[in-house]
Amino acid sequence: MIDPALVSGLSALMFVIGLGGAFTRKNAIIVLMCIELMLNAANMQFAAAAVHHGDTTGWVYTIFAIAIAASEVAIGLAIFLAMYGQHDTISLDDVDVLRN
Amino acid sequence: MAGSEVSDIAAPHVSELAPLIVLLPMLAFAVILFLGKVFNGNPMWKNSVKEGGIIALGVMSAVLVLSIILIMDFIGGVQAGHDSVFHWFTSGVWDGTTGGVSTDKFGFGIYVDHITVMLLFVAAFLCLLINTFSIGYMNTDPINDNRNHRFYAEFTLFCSGMLGMVLADSFLWLFIFWEIMGLCSYLLIGFYYERPSAAYAAKKAFLTTRIGDVFLMIGLVMLWDLFGSLDYAVVFASGEIEKVAEHSAGTLQWALGLMFIGAVGKSAQFPLHVWLPDAMEGPTPVSALIHAATMVNAGLYLVARMFPFFGADALHGDLADLAFIIALVGGITAVMAAAIAFVQMDLKKVLAYSTMSQLAYIFTGLGCAMYLANTLYWHEYLPDGVKNPDYYDNHYIVIVAFGAALFHLFNHAMAKGMLFMASGSVIHEVHHAHHHLHHHDDHDDHGEDHHDDHHDDHFDAQSMENMGGLASKMPITATAMLVGSASIMGLPLIGGFWSKEGIIANAWRVAQDDPRFLLPAMCVLIGAGMTGFYMSRMWLKTFAGKPNNEVAAHVGPTNTWIKTPLFILTFVSLSSILFAGMGFTHWAPDEGYAFMSEKSLVDGIIYELGHAFANEVPYFFIITYIAIALGAVAGPGLALALYGGQLEEGESAKPWMMPVIRLNAWVKARFNFDNSAFANSTLAVALQNRLYIDHYYDMAMLKIVAGFSTKAAETDADVIDGTIKTIESGSQSLSTVVRSLTTGSARDYILMVSVGMLAIFMLVWGVA
Repeated sequence: MIDPALVSGLSALMFVIGLGGAFTRKNAIIVLMCIELMLNAANMQFAAAAVHHGDTTGWVYTIFAIAIAASEVAIGLAIFLAMYGQHDTISLDDVDVLRN
Repeated sequence: MAGSEVSDIAAPHVSELAPLIVLLPMLAFAVILFLGKVFNGNPMWKNSVKEGGIIALGVMSAVLVLSIILIMDFIGGVQAGHDSVFHWFTSGVWDGTTGGVSTDKFGFGIYVDHITVMLLFVAAFLCLLINTFSIGYMNTDPINDNRNHRFYAEFTLFCSGMLGMVLADSFLWLFIFWEIMGLCSYLLIGFYYERPSAAYAAKKAFLTTRIGDVFLMIGLVMLWDLFGSLDYAVVFASGEIEKVAEHSAGTLQWALGLMFIGAVGKSAQFPLHVWLPDAMEGPTPVSALIHAATMVNAGLYLVARMFPFFGADALHGDLADLAFIIALVGGITAVMAAAIAFVQMDLKKVLAYSTMSQLAYIFTGLGCAMYLANTLYWHEYLPDGVKNPDYYDNHYIVIVAFGAALFHLFNHAMAKGMLFMASGSVIHEVHHAHHHLHHHDDHDDHGEDHHDDHHDDHFDAQSMENMGGLASKMPITATAMLVGSASIMGLPLIGGFWSKEGIIANAWRVAQDDPRFLLPAMCVLIGAGMTGFYMSRMWLKTFAGKPNNEVAAHVGPTNTWIKTPLFILTFVSLSSILFAGMGFTHWAPDEGYAFMSEKSLVDGIIYELGHAFANEVPYFFIITYIAIALGAVAGPGLALALYGGQLEEGESAKPWMMPVIRLNAWVKARFNFDNSAFANSTLAVALQNRLYIDHYYDMAMLKIVAGFSTKAAETDADVIDGTIKTIESGSQSLSTVVRSLTTGSARDYILMVSVGMLAIFMLVWGVA
């Protein structure tokens, strides 16, 4: 069995990669993917903790989080679609109407 | 606690119609104002209804009839009493000593006693006569066209205020009606509001009297605090004054003193007298009614209302200082106003200063009566219950002193109302003569411009420079003015003689007891001579001698509306001896004394004549004749030598005026004084400038009030506005900084969220 500590470390790595991607990329879909990455890092953390403590609560949380993430992605993509309809772009740098 | 008990105390009921005396004029005010707005310019409204004058006349006639019914009821046996008419509101009052809440009822009631009866008659009678006069004066001057309804509306509201104040059953209502009168005075002085001088005078009158009113209000609050009520029936109920006197006689004196300041303002006494001469900017009927005959008596009425405090044995001697102050203010004003009247050229201004001076006499008289009542034991029983051995003498002294002051109020109101109406008659006719002479040719095509015409020419119809020799041209007016002047001067047997001698004698009586009173006593004695001079001067300059210019030569007789009231009042002033005989000098301020003299009329007159001219006490005998010598010989004699003279050749006055004019011509020829030395002296200049009092007030206003206002404005701009402006500019610059964080870029927001989260984690960690 894999040491939960390794899984936890992988999770931290994934989170940092996701965060960095979210900061730097300007394509909205990529940013969304990075956010999903961070979410999955959190799921892995739950799973690792569940194994470590021998408690199933962590597994249940993971299932919930995956279900919520699925619906969240659906909403996110719908927003990008609407954004493209309005602005002809999904580049985050070009949509700053709040500012102007 | 007040209202419910009061209605039980009520003596035999006064007529149920009594409230109409107040309500009818108030209703007329609304009706005339409304109809005036609707029918303004309508020929029927203008010519038949006299723009409301006839409505007012009807109402004032009804008021006079109702007043006489009330007075007759009173003389017929309805004792001094109080009748609740309507309930206004009930208020909960927190009682500091018990911690509980009691309820006070406030309502309007009619209170009738001796003072009420006299003032009610004066007010109702003069309101009617002056209303008659107004129709002849206001409606015949084109300058007033289409706005007379405003005059009559304000006039009736004023009458309502005066009558209400006289009839009211509490100091609270007295104050309310007092302020209604103040408002009407303001509105009517400013009737010609397009003239800056009238607007200024109105403002001055309003503000000056308001200074007094603030003190009056404070005094009333103190009185309420002491007695728990302002109803006369409660305050003057037996035992109440005794209870208060036990622990707070000093506070009571302060309360009464503050109320007296209100009276000083209203009755134009020094140092709050400055408004009255300027108030002559109003139309002459207003000067006659408000600023001579009725409203200025309100202050005297208030002081007379305080009499029961002074008369209470429980306060024996405690209020003597206040009585002295009242007499002193009167004495100073009497001499000062008379002196200023010496040099006035404006007919109405002479009368205005004369009014101040005569009101001051009444104040002195009241002050002396108050002193006597406060320092003599004049009740039937002494405080310890023993029968008073001096009861008869002391009671008589107090009642006569009080009666003399009130009788002078009566005589002065009648005479001064008449004098103002007569002066109005003169001014009216001089004005018309001037108009006739100078604008006759182009009279027809003036039309609308006619109105402005009055202001453009600099002819002063009120100046005695433009009069002279009018005795032959205006017989009734000249006679009325002669009788009125004689009444004010106190020529033996006419009008004010009876009351003025009484006031002077009583002032000297008090001076025997208390040397402080020598000052007011001296003032009223000298004032008698001064009155003789300035009143004679006024009559002679106006009616005797030769016309001063072409205008005066063309003056014609006046109209019937104006003549009628003059005629009536001439007889009232001449019949003063009858009033004296009926016991008007024996005014009974308590219930144990008959209202009228018990003597028959003839006996009464004989008694008064003997009392006045052949007093058995040498001290009073001498003082009487000094006063007569000054007021009826020296003062008028000097005026006869200086002013007037023979009428124009071929002109002749009525037979009863001819002796005066012949005497005038003879004296003037015999003693040809040259008064130019006096006329150019510093004193005369000072008098012409009203002793610079107005000047100093203006300076003080400029320094204190304007200085304070400037500082206040600066404080407002710098401190208050400054604080708000700093907050505003600070938040604006702060928001500029904060705004730069809002880049609109989603990635920046993600960064901020992350940094924020990190910060929270670190904080939680750090704390844990």
